[in-house]
This record gives sequence, C-alpha cells and structure tokens, in this order.
Amino acid sequence: MLKINNLHCKVETQDGDEKPILKGLSLEVPAGEVHAIMGPNGSGKSTLSYVLTGRDGYDVTQGEMMFAGHDLAELEPEERAAAGLYLSFQYPVEIPGVPTLTFLKEALNAQRAARGEAEMSAPAFLKFARESAKQLGVSMDMLKRPVNVGFSGGEKKRMEILQALILEPKFLILDETDSGLDIDALKVVSEGVNTLRAADRGMLVITHYQRLLDHIKPDVVHIMADGRIITSGGPELAHELEAEGYDKYLGEVA
Amino acid sequence: MGAITHTPAEKTLIDLLDGAEDWRAAAREAVIASGLPTRRVEAWKWSDLRASSQNIETKGSVAYRLDGSSIGPTVTLGSGEQLDLDLVAKPGIGVASLDICVPAGQTARLVERHDIQGASFPTVRLQIDLGEGASLERVIVSDIHADAVAALRTRITVGAGARYAQATLAFGSKLSRHETHITHAGEGAEVNLGAVYLLDEGRHADFTSTVTHTGPGGVTKQLVKGAAMAHARGVFQGKFKVEQAAQQTDARMTHRALMLSDKAEINAKPELEIYADNVQCAHGNALGAIDQTALFYMRQRGLSEVKARAMLIESFLGEPLDLISDDTLREELQSLLRKRLGEIA
Repeated sequence: MLKINNLHCKVETQDGDEKPILKGLSLEVPAGEVHAIMGPNGSGKSTLSYVLTGRDGYDVTQGEMMFAGHDLAELEPEERAAAGLYLSFQYPVEIPGVPTLTFLKEALNAQRAARGEAEMSAPAFLKFARESAKQLGVSMDMLKRPVNVGFSGGEKKRMEILQALILEPKFLILDETDSGLDIDALKVVSEGVNTLRAADRGMLVITHYQRLLDHIKPDVVHIMADGRIITSGGPELAHELEAEGYDKYLGEVA
Repeated sequence: MGAITHTPAEKTLIDLLDGAEDWRAAAREAVIASGLPTRRVEAWKWSDLRASSQNIETKGSVAYRLDGSSIGPTVTLGSGEQLDLDLVAKPGIGVASLDICVPAGQTARLVERHDIQGASFPTVRLQIDLGEGASLERVIVSDIHADAVAALRTRITVGAGARYAQATLAFGSKLSRHETHITHAGEGAEVNLGAVYLLDEGRHADFTSTVTHTGPGGVTKQLVKGAAMAHARGVFQGKFKVEQAAQQTDARMTHRALMLSDKAEINAKPELEIYADNVQCAHGNALGAIDQTALFYMRQRGLSEVKARAMLIESFLGEPLDLISDDTLREELQSLLRKRLGEIA
C-alpha cells in the first residue's frame, strides 16, 4: 500500500540552509498492517511524516514514495489527503474562528469531490459526526468550538483520531500520538486507533516510546536512526529497545 | 508662498461649490487656498486625496437615496425602524450631506449600501445625533468601483446613556477614506466601532476615527480587522481623546491586519490622548501573515489551498461583523465577504 524506496529528503532550516534529513530510507507497509517506527530524537521520524504528506520545505532529492498507485511526490497535500493519506499531527494546529464541525464537513466533502464522489448532506454529516464523537467520548459541544482552540494536549490528540474516524482514510500516519497523553487519554486514543484497524487500511505509528505499542500492537517494528531504517523486526523489538535503549543501534550507524 | 496650481479635480470642485453655504463654503475656501489634502498633511499621509483625484474633471453627482428617491437634508429616526439608504455616486465629482437624528430614548437601525461608480469622486458629510438614551446601529457595505475616489466623513454626537454601534465592510477602491468622528457624552453611553476591510490588488481603504469622551463613565470598543493583497494599502488611524471630565472612561482600540502578500502595505497609527486620571484605555495593533502551519494542516485534511486560505482569512476577518444584531443582515455581510474571498484568495 505504501512503498518508500531509497528516500532522500532535505529540509530548509530557519536560516535558509538546506539540511539532509532522510538518507536512503526504504519501507513497505502493506494494507491491513500496522508498522511502528521508533527512533531517537533527530533521527528523522517527523520529517518522514511531513515529506509523505507534502509539507512545504520538505524536498525529496532522491528515491520514491508510492501510495495506492500514486507517486506521492507528484501530488499536492490535498490530493494526497483525497488519495487516502492521513497524518495525525504531533502538534495539532489551532484554527481560531473555524468551528470543528464546519472544518470537517468542508474537508470531507472536498475529499469526496476530489474522488468524484457525491457530497455528504449536512444532516447526514451531523449524524455521522455525532456517532463518531460518541465513540471517542467527545461532546458535540467540543465539535462546535473552533478547531483545537483551547483544547488540552489530550483533547487535541483525541480530536485527531476523531477526524480520522470521520474522514476514513486508507492510511494513517500517527506522529507521536502518545505525547502529552495521560494514561486514561492514551487508552481512549488507542481504542480509537484500534477501531480504525482494517484489512484495507495501513498504519504507520511513529513513536519515541514503547508504551503506545502496548495499546496499539504493531505487526512490524522499524528502528530509525540518522535518516534510515537500520533494523526491523516483530513487536518484541520494541520491548528490547525499551530495555536496552537506542545506544546499541546508534553504534551501528557510527 | 505663491498660490497653488489647482488640479482639474480641484478646479471642478471650486466651480461646483460656487455660491454654496455652510461646510461646503468652508471646504471651497480650503481647496482654493491649499488644494485637496496631500500626503504632506499629517492626517492624510497615507491617503493622498489630491493625487488620487487629480484627473477627475467632470461634474458628477452623489446622493443618499431611499428606494431611488433623494432623501434629506434631515431625517429623524425612531420606534425601532430600519432605514435602508443607498449612497449613489455617478462618475465625476459630487458633494452630498445628510443629517440624521435619533431623539432621546428612541431606537433605530441605519443600513448604508454604497453604489459608487468608476471615475467618481464623491465627498460626503453625514451628521448623526443621538439623544439621551437613544440607540442606533449603523451598518455600512462599501463594495464600490475600483477606480472610485471616495471621501466619506461622519460626525456623531452620542448623548448621555446612548448607544451607538457601527459595522463597516469595505473592499476599498483607488482611494477610500472612511472617517468617523464621535463626541461621546459618557454617563453610561456605549460606542462600538467595528470594521472589516479586504483589499484586492492595488486597492486602498483608510479608516480614520476619533472618539472624544467628554463626560464620565463612557465605554468605547473599537475593532478593525483587515487583509490586503499585493500593492494594496490599508490605513488605520484611530484616536481616543479622553477629556478631564471623562473619568472612568473604558476605551479599547484594536487593529489587526493580515498581509496577503509581502507587497501589501498596512499603515497604522493608534493614538490615546488622555487628560483624566482614572480611566482604562488601551490600544493594540498587530500585523501578520497567513499561518503556514495552519494552511498545511487544512490541506492535509483535504481542503484546497485556495479554500483553506479563504477559510483562514474569513475566520481572521469576521469578528467585527458579530456586532450586527440582525441575523439576516449579518449573514448578508458575511456571505458578501466570503464571496469576495472566493474571488481573490
């Protein structure tokens, strides 16, 4: 479903310089599987999430990213979204003045229009949103508030998963979804993610810590360092990492 | 100092006002003596009326109209009525004035829709007097021709305990000067000034206002929000003057603008002049650009860049229109703003 081959990416820094971050990353996530990417800070995990979704300033210099028959590098961010790619942001963005419901209805219908599907009517959308919100313990009152404005860290992450439930993407990238979550919120969010697991849907779970993977059990764990995947294995790899730290793997890079 | 050489517009204006009385006569004398204001005049430094109007030579017309008929020179409003006026300016130079009175204790709404055509140069004076405890809500829609040069000045006296709310939506023109000068009696009187400007390439809009608190315990809130494209210029000059007698005045002024291009220009001059010692007055002014992180977030959810930009700008600009109490009217202005954003974002 998602196939990344020898991906190199450079990032524009604040002072206008360009810095290579991804240095030949290869990865394949078939439909129905959940893959985790673990790695120390600065290994390029978030860069991977941004380059896949097409953020400005993240330029592919070599290699390719194929997703469900599309060459991602040729698509605008909104075209990638319509193709089914969804990023749960590490830091969800506040959008004052735009009610969450309005935002999601516009987004869903924009994606549907891009795919040549019929728009969802306002009443149908409302019903659908209400059901999805209930599943995540989100009140309709919260959905009427501007996107992420005044929400706690945990509420924002919950909203990210709620948006995924509503937009029903083919593929989710979860970027540090566990950061800022207390243990109860982690449970709710993980349950939300687990309901999204499906035979025709893939997921890439980016995390620094193993604890999220106790709740969202990955099929494959990849360890990333210095812009590359340096080793891959089963779920046991995450536990090994938790016990021994990254040093062992970082040593291999150096 | 020798006499100035008048521009074609000034010559026509002097001719047009020959034999006029009241403020028109004074205006004529001022134009004869020093011409129309230029950027060398402090209050007009970002709105050069002389340069913008110079090549408009013909006599035109401007008038406040009610259902197609002229109205004035004086109108009295009350009993909760709504007066829907069109300010119609035909090409060429025109001068108009109107006096509106809302007697003590009366409530009314005034809606002004500008129909100002290309190559027109209307000069308009509106005087509004609110009696004690009176209430007026004024809504202005200034969707005018790109080539128009409009000099619009309103003086308002707000009586003790009265309420005045004004919401303007303006898309600018070659030069649009919206002046509002308020004398605020306090004693519980409340003034609420809101304005939104959205300027397409090359357009200009100027919001210049003074609010003079003359009596104690008055409240003023002013919120002006704008957005400007390349080579457009937004001007905000706001002044609160609090006289010594105006103790316990609460006056707050905010101007915020979005630069939609690095070739946009926003000029702001907020001023407080306070002679009373027990007051709460504040002003804030901020310029910014579209939040690129928010833009990416919205596109990642599937919204096109154009749609996402329009939503972000609309959400930024919309707040001043919230002071319009009538739902239908507020929605009319909101949808006009949205439509315009769809065209230029």
